[in-house]
Amino acid sequence: MRNRRQNVITLLLLAPSLVMAILLLAIPLLVVIAYSFAGRDSYGGVVTGFTLESYVELFQPAYLPIFVNSLKIAAMSTAVCVLIGYPIAYFIAFRAGKHSGLLLALLLIPFWIDFMIRMSSWMVLMGRNGTINGALTGAGIIDEPIRMIGTYPAVMVGMLYAFLPTTVLPIYAALSGINRRLLEAADDLGAGPVEAFWRVTFPLSLPGVMAAMLFVFVPAMGVYAIPVLLGGGKSIILGNLIVQLFLDFRNIPLGAAVSVVMLVLSSVIIVFYMRMLRRLEEAHA
Amino acid sequence: MKLSRIAGLYVPIVTILGYVFLFAPLVVLVIYSFNAGRSTVVWTGFSMDWYVQALNDRGLQRGLQVSAIVAVLSAIISTAIGTSAALAVIKRPFPAKNLFSTLLIAPLVLPEIVLAVGMLVATVWSGLALGYLTLVAGHVLVSVPFTFLIVRAAAATLDPRLDEAAADLGAHGGQIFMRVTLPLLLPAILSATLLSAIISFDNFVMSTFVSGVGTTPLPIQIYAMLKTGLTPKINALGTMLIGVNVLAILLVMGRYLKTVRGTGQ
Amino acid sequence: MLKYGMLLATTSLLLAGTALTASAEELHIYAWASELPQEIVDDFAKETGINVTMDTYDSNETMMAKLSAGASGYDLVEPSQYTVQVLVKQGLLTELDHAKLPNLSNLGAAFKDVSYDPGQKFSVPYIWGTTGLAYNEDCVKQPITSWKAMWDPQYEGRVYMLDNMLAAYIAGLQVNGLHAGTANPEEIEKATQSLIEQKKILGGYNSSNFGELVASGEACIVQAWNSNVTQILDENPKVHYVIPEEGGSMWIDGFAIPKNAKNVDAAYKFIDYIMKPEVAAKAANLSKSATVVDAAKALLPKEVAENQAIYPPADKLKKVDFILDVGDAMKLYQDGWTKVKTAQ
Repeated sequence: MRNRRQNVITLLLLAPSLVMAILLLAIPLLVVIAYSFAGRDSYGGVVTGFTLESYVELFQPAYLPIFVNSLKIAAMSTAVCVLIGYPIAYFIAFRAGKHSGLLLALLLIPFWIDFMIRMSSWMVLMGRNGTINGALTGAGIIDEPIRMIGTYPAVMVGMLYAFLPTTVLPIYAALSGINRRLLEAADDLGAGPVEAFWRVTFPLSLPGVMAAMLFVFVPAMGVYAIPVLLGGGKSIILGNLIVQLFLDFRNIPLGAAVSVVMLVLSSVIIVFYMRMLRRLEEAHA
Repeated sequence: MKLSRIAGLYVPIVTILGYVFLFAPLVVLVIYSFNAGRSTVVWTGFSMDWYVQALNDRGLQRGLQVSAIVAVLSAIISTAIGTSAALAVIKRPFPAKNLFSTLLIAPLVLPEIVLAVGMLVATVWSGLALGYLTLVAGHVLVSVPFTFLIVRAAAATLDPRLDEAAADLGAHGGQIFMRVTLPLLLPAILSATLLSAIISFDNFVMSTFVSGVGTTPLPIQIYAMLKTGLTPKINALGTMLIGVNVLAILLVMGRYLKTVRGTGQ
Repeated sequence: MLKYGMLLATTSLLLAGTALTASAEELHIYAWASELPQEIVDDFAKETGINVTMDTYDSNETMMAKLSAGASGYDLVEPSQYTVQVLVKQGLLTELDHAKLPNLSNLGAAFKDVSYDPGQKFSVPYIWGTTGLAYNEDCVKQPITSWKAMWDPQYEGRVYMLDNMLAAYIAGLQVNGLHAGTANPEEIEKATQSLIEQKKILGGYNSSNFGELVASGEACIVQAWNSNVTQILDENPKVHYVIPEEGGSMWIDGFAIPKNAKNVDAAYKFIDYIMKPEVAAKAANLSKSATVVDAAKALLPKEVAENQAIYPPADKLKKVDFILDVGDAMKLYQDGWTKVKTAQ
């Protein structure tokens, strides 16, 4: 009896996500996979059938730099976001005291105004005749305005601005769940604050850090408005490629093939991530 | 000792710089919303005209309404889905657990445009009309990985002995959940809800494909306005959004802090 | 919990509310952002009692993606000339019944029998414009007359091309003395090489806020669609729009009715309404673009009718190229454009 009741509860907990996964994920994905093996007519119509044409086309040398470029930008963005997001999460969790709620809320305010509005503010700040150049020339630090829009650091600024809360939140969630008595115990055992951090706090926050890395790395490969608006759109990454193939070229099979390759790449990342997470959880148990 | 002092400074300094970084564009945004001229870069004088214009722009009004409705609905739904899934994964034994987790995180690692095109085609195939339903569905799909991972990370740090202790004290499953698990998970659940509402409010790619007749959300409206040049009207809108948020946060936080203090944390 | 419940209840009421208003005659328009002024739509709704919903898109391709998916729910779309051809070939447009469009006779002579849609079988032109370049005299000292300026290293980092394949190739082909819209593989390859060459000095590709880039001085020269910069030209006397001597190009955006449209009658009424000279004039004036109704041009304020960025002089118009669907040669453009975009 008891066992059956337990099973019903488990099923009830699983049901919403299963329904969602089938309706909103599995069916659309199967369509995409099927499309990657389809042919196309010259007007962008999909011709059903089975061909490997799109995959063959994909492995041309022209596309290689796009993959490399995307991985580079994503890795760089992740590093920048974690280096800056971790201390902020740490501060909110351990130093902010009763203000932690306020700081968390403040962190999210910029994101309630539209993405495009935020990007345009950065364009104003970093423009040739913008606020930063104005301040620097005004203070006599530089003579000629520096070109910022259309450069790599500008893209990084945009990425950091876009992904900072998605970095801070999971790290904060992990840090705030740490049992304070563990830290007291470390202190009692004579560990200094730095040692206590590296031996207790940091390992316990790793699941959060890994979630944060996943949250930044993967979407960063697919972002396309930031490279276009702040980076000048000169170097194309996977997000731009897929938009270009699906919309501009109406080459749905090739776009679908790129997506399938990205799907495979990402699956590898997830499997790796899940394995690490499980190992961490076992270590804590 | 020296090292720890440097480390001790690193945290507050990065935090302060981080918040300056986050708010610098907003300060510029707010200042130029009062600009008399049409430029968002060159200051020509003080005026409130752009607020009047923003309030009277029907495209923006519609967009804001659509975005707000979709953000609220999709945040509630995706938090419910993410939380129940996280609890199942952490607390319940069932087969193919890893596959299940992978499935839930999958929308995060697939290019959004692929999901969007898939959703569009699947919608047409099912005979449903594009509109609120497809927008909410699309945004739920995009935000569930976030709610799932956040609640899961928090649930993983819960001490299982707490449940055992509660059970020893005679609490049954429902009571344990309501009195032990839920309160401990509440911060994570709240951040998950907030985050997914923001993801929805900000969403661009998915919305482009699955919005239908009369349901064009705000980001798409604004992107279209970029083409003819942004005016301080956009700044005025942004400033009002910030204002509403600050108010809401003050209200919610005020109450939240009171409850926290009340329970004597 | 109670709060969430109330929120849910209110939003579902709102949803129900929007669903219930569907009693009167309806019209769902899907148009280019900023080309169809809200005021015109409101006037039409007031005059006819039809309930109009307008959504906008910012590229032909986005609109096509929605239409080719099937049930888009739109009754009226606004494709550009080559897009009309593609949509017709995909069988996505309704053949127009001219008996329902008495005002079609107002169409200017130049737009009566356009090459992309002979006899207006599927579309009715609405506005037209050109593709050229805009520059800011703060950093461009001599007036520009040729695409060649966009290859000039002295403007390094401050030249922006439209982030649009067909538009970029207009410059790439014409700078080589060729015609835009060619289907000749060698000519396309030549243009591709020129565009790759150009990339070294480019600030970037941009088809959204290029007007602002040149107005603010971030860019010296941008490739531009005239209708997106006319407002900026009015406000900033330092910005100039030029159709290059190599030709530039001309585009026409018109209205068409999708195959599965539900409110076809209302769609016809709207097309007919916008062809009235006084309405066409008002629309052209508000959107700052060129009308296709000759009688409307006479009703425009002088500064608009004589604005050379909107109505270029006749000798310029003689030389412009008109881009049509290139059929299978599209693949050559796409491969070339991918090479340009991935070049270091």
